[in-house]
Amino acid sequence: MKGIPKAACRPIEILMVEDNPGDVRLTVEALKEAKVRNNFHTVEDGVEAMAYLRRQGPYAEAPRPDLVLLDLNLPKKNGREVLAEIKEDPELRRIPVVILTVSQAEQDILKSYNLHANCYITKPVDLDQFLEVVKSIENFWLTVVMLPPR
Amino acid sequence: MNLTFLASSVLQAIAVLFQFAAAIFALKLIRVTGKWTSWILIAGAFCLMAIRRSLSLWDLLSGNPDGFISSLDLLDSIFALAISALMLAGVLSISPLFQAIKQATETLRRAKDDLEIQVTQRTMELRDANVHLSVELDERRKAERQLAQYAEELTRSNAELEQFAYVASHDLQEPLRMVASFTQLLGKRYRGKLDQDADEFIGFAVDGATRMQRLINDLLAYSRVGTRAKSFQFTDCNIVFRQTRDNLAKAIEDSGAIIFQDPLPTVEGDEMQLMQLFQNLVANAIKFRGAEPPQIQVSAKQKGTEWVFAVKDNGIGIAPEHQERIFSIFQRLHQRSEYPGTGIGLAICKKIVERHGGRIWVQSQSGNGSTFYFSIPKGKQ
Repeated sequence: MKGIPKAACRPIEILMVEDNPGDVRLTVEALKEAKVRNNFHTVEDGVEAMAYLRRQGPYAEAPRPDLVLLDLNLPKKNGREVLAEIKEDPELRRIPVVILTVSQAEQDILKSYNLHANCYITKPVDLDQFLEVVKSIENFWLTVVMLPPR
Repeated sequence: MNLTFLASSVLQAIAVLFQFAAAIFALKLIRVTGKWTSWILIAGAFCLMAIRRSLSLWDLLSGNPDGFISSLDLLDSIFALAISALMLAGVLSISPLFQAIKQATETLRRAKDDLEIQVTQRTMELRDANVHLSVELDERRKAERQLAQYAEELTRSNAELEQFAYVASHDLQEPLRMVASFTQLLGKRYRGKLDQDADEFIGFAVDGATRMQRLINDLLAYSRVGTRAKSFQFTDCNIVFRQTRDNLAKAIEDSGAIIFQDPLPTVEGDEMQLMQLFQNLVANAIKFRGAEPPQIQVSAKQKGTEWVFAVKDNGIGIAPEHQERIFSIFQRLHQRSEYPGTGIGLAICKKIVERHGGRIWVQSQSGNGSTFYFSIPKGKQ
């Protein structure tokens, strides 16, 4: 079986793990203009993110995401722990994880890649650049790359 | 009768031997003490006594009662006088010796007493010095402890500063980014759809937020001079300056700037920071240019134990009364509409130069260009 034929059969599922509603809203605004049909889901902390991915509790019916946008600084369980858990789990490790954070700290970048993050993006300070980055993520991960089959 | 005779003879013979022996010992003392006249006189006296006694013994043994001595009473008297005179002269002349010995002994005793006093005194002084030394040692230990404490406090405050830098970069920027992003979004979506006031208000909000972001970023850059510092390496300033020119290539081209560069030395320093230093100074020279295209001269001279670098331009210059102020953080001399910027560049330059153990200053006249100087210690090459 080949990768998912995009847009053709079903919408792409995106999970954003972000505790700042402002960033969530900005991402939603940017994705409104997306070329690819997508279902956008958000959770606010690391514990919820793992519950969502493992379909536990209220997320029993949640679809398996095709792409995870992960902030590093999260309440309860931070992004590094979430990333580590995803990449250690044989069921979840093939889901691409995009780190989307404000931190430009070298050790954050290094640690994320060491934990097998698929890419690391710093949230641009400027609005236009932010919208542009989200569009690039959408364009690259949802149209350019071949995602693994679910 | 016979026994008495025998005893007398033997005793007299022994007396003669003793007297000669005394004479010989007296002569021997010349070597030890000097005073040879005294000892010869005394030895002479003993000899005469021995001779006289020998003559009387001879008389006794020969059985001649009218021998040398008894028959000639005068000779015996002469012997007695001579012996007494020699003894007197000898003792008189030798007495200064005993005087001297006595004095010497006295001096010796006094010297010994003095020595004892001095030893006691020195011992006391030594004890005092020891006490003093231990007090000093205590003080030094205390000072060392205090120094260690200061160092610890400094480490802690540096760590706090780093923490602050992180807080400023993340926690403070996060809400600010929200303010800036949503006012920008507001502007984008609703410009021209509300009224003119609303457009203006949004404009101010966006401008304020953007400026605050820039200030925070600059503050961070300033604090990073200390917190993100690299250790010093031998750095060829020619290479550093070439990199600086590359980084500023666009600004140089746009302004038509001409840069003259003298050969620059190799110094001990942080390459990245030296580049930032050159870059800020050259960028300023371009930014604050006059009507003419900028001409910038970069040079370095040895002065004592330092290298003094100079970046000279033909720009608008700085009035003398402002020359101190320009190195402080966020100090600006111009309206934002004339020259943009937060006023961080020279503050960063100053921090970098001071971290390298040097100074930075400017020579300028309003309208006549400026020369920025900075010094870097030559270090041990």
